[in-house]
Amino acid sequence: MTNNSEVQRMSLDAALDVLARRREDQVVVGTMTANGAWRQKSPHDLNLACIGFMGGASTLGLGVALSQPGRDVWVIDGDGSLMMQLGSLGTIAGAAPSNFLHIVIHNGVYETSGSQPLPSQQQVDFAQMAEGAGYAQTASFGDAEEFDSAIDELLAAEGPTLVQLYTRPEDRFYSARPTPPGSTPALARMWPPVAEALAKD
Amino acid sequence: MTAQSIPADQLLSAIRGAGVQDVVLVPDTHQRTVLDLLMDDEEIRTIHCSTEDEAVAVSAGLIIGGRRPMMQIQHAGLYASVNNLRGVALDGHFPIVLLIGLLGRDAELEPEQDGSSMVRLCRPLLETLDIPSHLLDGPEDLHHVAEAFDEAQERNGPVALLVGTTTS
Repeated sequence: MTNNSEVQRMSLDAALDVLARRREDQVVVGTMTANGAWRQKSPHDLNLACIGFMGGASTLGLGVALSQPGRDVWVIDGDGSLMMQLGSLGTIAGAAPSNFLHIVIHNGVYETSGSQPLPSQQQVDFAQMAEGAGYAQTASFGDAEEFDSAIDELLAAEGPTLVQLYTRPEDRFYSARPTPPGSTPALARMWPPVAEALAKD
Repeated sequence: MTAQSIPADQLLSAIRGAGVQDVVLVPDTHQRTVLDLLMDDEEIRTIHCSTEDEAVAVSAGLIIGGRRPMMQIQHAGLYASVNNLRGVALDGHFPIVLLIGLLGRDAELEPEQDGSSMVRLCRPLLETLDIPSHLLDGPEDLHHVAEAFDEAQERNGPVALLVGTTTS
């Protein structure tokens, strides 16, 4: 059993840099604290975000992957988010999209609400869970250089692939602002341009 | 009134006639004869989900990628999918059509008179969420299937179809 208190951990920044260097025309679905950092590192017409439905990033990405088999889809998930929809591992493995990369940022806490610990924080291992569910490939990294050395081979192989990235918790508490009445929700603004870009190709 | 059973082949024809490419589902006992046909169908793809809230997000992703999905679930799954119905289908303005089986409904009663909370609360919940619904209480109601897709596009949001009694 994994002991998460002993694993090496990288910064979220270093983990996302490895992915940003490989960004081409993939659709990327981000969520929670990694989402804002990703959008700054890799601004792109094909970025989507799971905001306001925690846990839904993996299956939103699955739908895009199944509709666009010729294009790679990356989901940058959170550990707490995936915990909320653990069944999605079985759904994704069953649908078996070869173009699907599932990144799980494993910092062990619910960072946006004040860094409370995850249930089973000390031992939960999402790579083992994904392997048990039937993902084609799984891997875990706590060192950015090792991740950088291994990612190209993982990207070249058939998915679905889950990569668990152990990162250090950072203080990214997020307090939601009130939404003005009549506002268009972020998701409704975000996806039509992505759909339009995909339809053109 | 007495709800009439809809033959599976007629419901499948209506689904096909609406241009559905993918059925995103969590199995519904009530519609099992349709599921049997769908799983053998070579044109319509079935995507099996662990939970109904996943099915909402998968459907939204399919729409982003240019597909025409339909969700097929049981009434209990409607209750399980509420957060994504709100956060994805409603907030995201996704034209998702849901086919929901009213398992265990007394065919002699209006759903709101039913003894089962799963049946009785279905339409009130949909009304609360501002999701229009249409009851399929027999083959003569199948015109609602294609119309629901038009309605969903016009509203930029979800529309529900309630399968009133077990398909045959």
